[in-house]
Amino acid sequence: MELKISEYLKLEAIIMDIKAKEKIAAIDELVEHMVAKKLVRDGKAFIKALAKRENLESTGIGDGIAIPHARTDAVQDLIFAFARSPEGIDFSSIDGKPSHIIFLIASPEGKKSEYIMALAKLSRLLRKHPVRELLRDAKNPKEIMEIIRKNEE
Amino acid sequence: MDFKKFLLVLTEDADQSILTDAVQLCKDFKSKLYVLFVIEPNRVSRLASLTHQKVKVVHKKTEEDGWKLLYLLEDEAVENGVWTSLHLEDGNQLKVTNRYVDAYEIDALLIKRKEESKKIFVSSSIPIIGL
Repeated sequence: MELKISEYLKLEAIIMDIKAKEKIAAIDELVEHMVAKKLVRDGKAFIKALAKRENLESTGIGDGIAIPHARTDAVQDLIFAFARSPEGIDFSSIDGKPSHIIFLIASPEGKKSEYIMALAKLSRLLRKHPVRELLRDAKNPKEIMEIIRKNEE
Repeated sequence: MDFKKFLLVLTEDADQSILTDAVQLCKDFKSKLYVLFVIEPNRVSRLASLTHQKVKVVHKKTEEDGWKLLYLLEDEAVENGVWTSLHLEDGNQLKVTNRYVDAYEIDALLIKRKEESKKIFVSSSIPIIGL
């Protein structure tokens, strides 16, 4: 069965306007939000896993997009979260531009193939310029969900 | 010679063993690893024609497979403490590769050792390592 991002991204895991102004603070805010919504069981371990990757690569993939991600048993299942930053956050992107759209992905250690597939699907989706524009202009979490649902094939 | 930055160039027929070799090399040299997957429109069209599929369908599969390869490599690189930067582009492999070499000041290219790689070898201004 084909993996659908819209089936894993929950409405409560969407932050329309993130307050943080820099990378680690943004990850903290997203994870704290997910812990508060009971989507993550161990926030500290999750942040540690994400920070490990941030030190070894740029998860800012350019065009205003960042995809922080990690495999960690701090989560029970494959999980997505979304945040938007009107001002943009420096994720050390490959094109040097700030990231306005942040997608966070995590999966348990043992679900590597799903995790890789999720990253591939999301990266492909976000390469499409119209999708990025729609996500930047969306007014609420339901619109975000609808954009993803309509544009993933 | 000091190799601070390697560029691994991948195409759709790359196998996973090349990923491990590239990560190990970068670990040994304590180098940064830039990874570039190039989707060549001509190859996509040819494959679509040969398999009687729409170009759009073949392109989608090629792109998804490309991202999967990139993230598989990244996962292995993180386990080994190797810094990576992932890139996927549509275009001519030779032209895109040369642009990346200049843009990121790459010290050496890593490529799969095969006949078609000769076109990069001939025109490259930096060392090539065939994996």
